[in-house]
Amino acid sequence: MKAAKFEYEQAQSLQQIQDAYGSDPSALRLMGGSQSLGPMLNLRLVRPGRVLDVSAVPELRQVTAIKGHVRIGAAVTHAQIEDGIYELLRGHMMQKVAGRIAYRGVRNRGTLGGSLAHADPAADWVLTCVALGARINVRGTQGSRTVPMSEFMLAAYTTVLEAGEFIESVDVPEVSGSARWGYYKFTRKVGEFADASCACYFDPATRTARVVIGAMEGAPRSLPELAVKVAAQGAAVLEGDTIEAALQPYLAQRDEAHQVLFRTVVERSLKQALGVKG
Amino acid sequence: MAEISIQVNGRQQKHEAEPRTHLGDFIREKSRLTGTNLSCEHGVCGACTVLVDGRPVRSCITFAGACDGHEVTTVEGYDDDPIMSRLRTAFSEKHALQCGFCTPGMLATSRDIVLRLPDADEARVRIELSGNICRCTGYQGITAAILSVLQALRDQPDAQVDALRAAVVQNVQQDWNQNGFTTFDAVQEDVQAPAPVAAAAPAASGRADKGKGQAIQGGFDARFPADQVWAFMKDLPKVAGCLPGAMIESQEGATVQGKIAIKFGPMSAAFKGNAALEEDNERRAAVLRGEGVDSLSQSRARGDVSFQVNPDGPERSRVEVELVYSLQGPLAQFSRSGLVQDFVRRMIAEFGKNVNLRLEKPLAEGEEPVVAEFNPVKMFFSILWDRFKGLFRRA
Ligand SMILES: Cc1cc2nc3c(=O)[nH]c(=O)nc-3n(C[C@H](O)[C@H](O)[C@H](O)COP(=O)(O)OP(=O)(O)OC[C@H]3O[C@@H](n4cnc5c(N)ncnc54)[C@H](O)[C@@H]3O)c2cc1C
Ligand code: FES
Ligand code: FES
Repeated sequence: MKAAKFEYEQAQSLQQIQDAYGSDPSALRLMGGSQSLGPMLNLRLVRPGRVLDVSAVPELRQVTAIKGHVRIGAAVTHAQIEDGIYELLRGHMMQKVAGRIAYRGVRNRGTLGGSLAHADPAADWVLTCVALGARINVRGTQGSRTVPMSEFMLAAYTTVLEAGEFIESVDVPEVSGSARWGYYKFTRKVGEFADASCACYFDPATRTARVVIGAMEGAPRSLPELAVKVAAQGAAVLEGDTIEAALQPYLAQRDEAHQVLFRTVVERSLKQALGVKG
Repeated sequence: MAEISIQVNGRQQKHEAEPRTHLGDFIREKSRLTGTNLSCEHGVCGACTVLVDGRPVRSCITFAGACDGHEVTTVEGYDDDPIMSRLRTAFSEKHALQCGFCTPGMLATSRDIVLRLPDADEARVRIELSGNICRCTGYQGITAAILSVLQALRDQPDAQVDALRAAVVQNVQQDWNQNGFTTFDAVQEDVQAPAPVAAAAPAASGRADKGKGQAIQGGFDARFPADQVWAFMKDLPKVAGCLPGAMIESQEGATVQGKIAIKFGPMSAAFKGNAALEEDNERRAAVLRGEGVDSLSQSRARGDVSFQVNPDGPERSRVEVELVYSLQGPLAQFSRSGLVQDFVRRMIAEFGKNVNLRLEKPLAEGEEPVVAEFNPVKMFFSILWDRFKGLFRRA
C-alpha cells in the first residue's frame, strides 16, 4: 500500500525543528530513518499531515565525550555504531548490539533516536539503554530536560515525549575496562524483533549491576535483586533456581514456552557477562 | 508536488513527485528503471534493496524526498562494478537465479557482504542475507555464489575490489568481556513491582467459530447484585456505551452496526462492522460475536467476547470475560500477542469501571454516553496511581 498524502520538509538545524512545531505541535511528525515510520505510513496506520525529516541535522549526528559518558546524537544510525566509526563507541556494548538490529539495509538508515521514540517493547535499543542506565536528552519548544531511560518509555509505543518535544541525544556510560555485559535475544528469524530478550551490565568501578528483560508487554523490566546477587556471587548464581525465582513475578501467567525462552535469554546473557562458556 | 533531484546510476534525474512517493516508486515510475522490484512495501522482504550513496537501503520505506541530492545505484547501474561483475558470473554458475524476482535486491545485499566482510563464512553470509526473501527458495545457490566470490578474492586479491573495500569503514574488530568477572558489592536500584499480566493461551478449538484465535481472559468486580448486572450487560447499547471508543450506529434485534476507535501509540484504527449478542439467561452468560474492518489500513478483526455474571454474595458480583480474537492485515504486524493482551486487559478494566459507574448513575433519558477514545497512556497513569496508593495502604 502507499502512504496517505503528507507534506515533507527537511530540517537543517535544531532551531528549524523547534520552529517547525509552530503553534500546533501535534500536527507534525518527525522522521529519523523512516524505518519504523515508513512501514506505518505505507500501511496507513499513521497519517500525519506534515513530516519533518531530522536525520540530516548536524547536531543530531554527533558523538561526543561528556564526563564519563558518551553523548550520541539522536540521528546517529545503527550501522554507524556497528561499524565503530565513532572512536568513543568502539568496544562498547552499543557496538555489539547495533549489529544485531534488523538487517544491514535497515541499519543503514534507522537511527538511535527514532528507535527509542518509537518505543517498541521488543526493540534492541530500548532494552540496551535501560540496562546501561542511559539518559535521554529531550529538547522542546518549552526548553530542555533529561529523562532517565528507565522512566522514558511508558507503555508499548508510548513515551514521555510531549507534543513539541524531540530526542536530541542519548548519554551512555563510556567504555570502561572494568564493565562486563551481556545481550541475548531470541527471534524466529535473524533481524526480527525479539520474542524474548535480556541485557545485563555490571561495573564494579561504579557499583552498578543491572539485569533487564525485554519484549514484554510494555517497557523492559529490571530485575534489581537478581543483578545484585550476580554481582556478589558471580557464576554461582547460575546454579539453583535464583533466575527462575527472579523471573517468576513477571512470567507466572505466561505460557510455558515463554517461560523457557525468558529463562534461557537471562542465562545466556549472564553467561556472556560472567565469561562462562555455553 | 515537489521537485526531487537524485543521481540515479550516474545520471541526474529531476522529477516532480509527491512527498509521499517512496524511492522505489520514484526509480520505477519517474526514472523508468523497472529492474527494482517492490513486494511487501514495508521493509521486510528486501526485494526493493538499492544502494544509496553506496550503501544498501530499502527503497520502499525510504522516501524519495529524503534522497534529494544523493546518489542511487540500481540493478541497471552495476555494469562497471568490479564486485558485481564477479557476482553476476557466480550467480549463474551456482544456479542462484530462478524467477529472478528477488535477484536485484539479493545482488545489492551480496555486494555489500563481499565489500564489508571479506572473511565471512557460510553462517555469516546466511545471517547477512536474512533480510532478503526469495520466494523460489534459491538460498542455497545464492549463498554458494557469494562464498565463491569471497574465496576467489582471498585466493587472488583484486586491486579494484581492494580499493572499494578500503573506501568503506570496516567493522573494527573488538574483543568483548576479555577478563574474568570479579564479584563486587553492587548498589541495588529501586524499581516498581510488576503489574500482574493477563493470562493468555491459544484458544481451544471450537471456541472461535472460524479460524485460529488468541484467547485472553480477564474480569472485573461489580458493586451490584448479579441479576442487576446481568440485566445491564445484555442491553447492547448500554454495554457499548461502556466500551471505550465504541459507538452504535444502528440496532436490529440482537444485532448492532457500529464502530470502535482505538489508538495504540502512534497508530490509530477505527473498526466498522457489526456484532450480535447470544444470551443464555439461565447462566447469566452471553457471547458477543463481532467483526469489523478498519477502512484506512484495511485491517480486519473478528472476536468473540464471552462473559458470565456470577454472584459474589447478595450485593456483589464478578464478571468473567474472555476474548477470542483474530486480527488480519497491517495492524496485525504491530500486535504481537503480549501487546494485545496488555491492551485488552486494560480495556476490560476500563470497561468494568464504566459498567459500575453506569449502574450507579444511569444515563438520563435521551442522554448520550460520551465516547472516549481509548487511551493507554492515561490508563497507564491510572495504574501507576493505583500502585502508588497501594503503597500507602500497605504502610
Ligand atoms: C524489517 C525491519 C526489521 C526490524 N527489526 C528490528 C529489530 O530487530 N530490532 C529493533 O530494535 N528494531 C528493528 N526495526 C526497527 C528499526 O530499528 C528502526 O530503525 C527504528 O525502530 C526506527 O528508527 P528510525 O530512525 O527509522 O525512526 P523513524 O521510523 O523515522 O521514526 C520512528 C518514530 O520516532 C519518531 N522520531 C524519530 N526521530 C525522533 C527524534 N529525534 N525525537 C523524537 N521522535 C523521533 C518518529 O516521529 C516516529 O514516531 C526493524 C525495522 C524493519 C523495517
Ligand atoms: S518491498 Fe521493500 S522490503 Fe519488501
Ligand atoms: S529467484 Fe525467484 S524469488 Fe528468488
